[in-house]
Amino acid sequence: MENIVNKENMSDELEFLSKKILELNKKLIDGEKAKSRFLSLVANKLNNPLTAILGIMPHLKIIDTQENKLLFELVYKEVLNLDFKIQNLVMASEIESGNIDISYALVDPKEIIDEALECLKYLIKEKNIEIKIKSSIKQKVVTDPKKVYIIVKNLISNGCRYGFENSVITIALDIEDSMFVIKVKNQGDAPKVKYKPEIFTRFAKDADGKHGLGIGLSVVREICERVEGSIDYEADDGFVTFVVRLSLDENMVDSQAYGSNEFLFESFDDAIEL
Amino acid sequence: MIEGNSTFIHVGQLHVDVAPAAISTILGSCVAVCLYDRKSGIGGMNHYLLPFWNGNSLQSPRFGNIAIPKLIESMLERGANIKNIEAKIFGGASMNISASNNMMIGEKNILVAREILKEYKIHIVAEDVGKENGRKIQFNLQNAKVLLKYTMKAHV
Repeated sequence: MENIVNKENMSDELEFLSKKILELNKKLIDGEKAKSRFLSLVANKLNNPLTAILGIMPHLKIIDTQENKLLFELVYKEVLNLDFKIQNLVMASEIESGNIDISYALVDPKEIIDEALECLKYLIKEKNIEIKIKSSIKQKVVTDPKKVYIIVKNLISNGCRYGFENSVITIALDIEDSMFVIKVKNQGDAPKVKYKPEIFTRFAKDADGKHGLGIGLSVVREICERVEGSIDYEADDGFVTFVVRLSLDENMVDSQAYGSNEFLFESFDDAIEL
Repeated sequence: MIEGNSTFIHVGQLHVDVAPAAISTILGSCVAVCLYDRKSGIGGMNHYLLPFWNGNSLQSPRFGNIAIPKLIESMLERGANIKNIEAKIFGGASMNISASNNMMIGEKNILVAREILKEYKIHIVAEDVGKENGRKIQFNLQNAKVLLKYTMKAHV
């Protein structure tokens, strides 16, 4: 009897607290909504002209003087940087809209890393960072290449920004327990946050005064969770290692479910209709 | 037999379509809200993991109080009329672990759906929520019916 009363009390309490949270949360959402809408609008408006600039730039004929070459590199570097930031914003707004599309393909992870490194080449050169890639993956893996690209680009870029000059960034690719594991290790100080989740928070208040937009890692975390993966980091003895685990087996199941929703139809033969 | 597009949605996704089309998903403690405008044949479904946005991650539809208003907005943008919209809710199962460990996520997810739909004056015409099994659902926009099957193991 006492148990039943307790259960009822708990249930009432849960309902009351949940309604309270809902009410408070609504104010918080409304406050942030304008920010989200604005970002989404800006990102989409900037994306098109920038894509055009990015496409045109490599075709520019530079009068071959050292000074011109340096200027070209400077502009190209900034355009790539801007593109990177806008891609993060576009991805953030896609996630927020609920329209994020995960499309799996058979890919060589090393190719994705190379592509990300190509876009970050000026940043890497500027800090004179050496990149080491260690991959134990011999075959192609089934994953969403665009999302993996955004993940690795953010991690390597962070590694460069917060890593020491003239240091080494090690990128390790492995398959562990049916998970595709990406590790990016740089020499540098641990992120100065009180609690780990803070670092994956969007627009995190500057913990050390030199954080970026606070979008990158929050986007990375959302993508990881979206593909049933995870992200974490360890800081140890002057090294910071970000570890991303992406589910491989589940992906296979997903793609089957995607590719042939038939398996769902067939099994609805004796379903309940509501 | 399903005619038109058939879309499978994952956690944190929402989809709005118009008949003939179908939207399906698989649920555990997650909840899916299905909305339908009988006059225009516009229907939509979301699939959320947690009841409340935590205030710091992206405002993604993984959270009930983001996913439901967003689904309603998407329906209206597509041309549905709020006065004609009705709802069906599914999911919110308790996993096999004890209720305290589970933090009663399923129940909170259901509660959020009911509260928000009430706020928008959207009537819930059918539901299959709670219990311990996961569910596979398929929402057919042609006849506004949802086919439901229990799965053996609870999914997310």
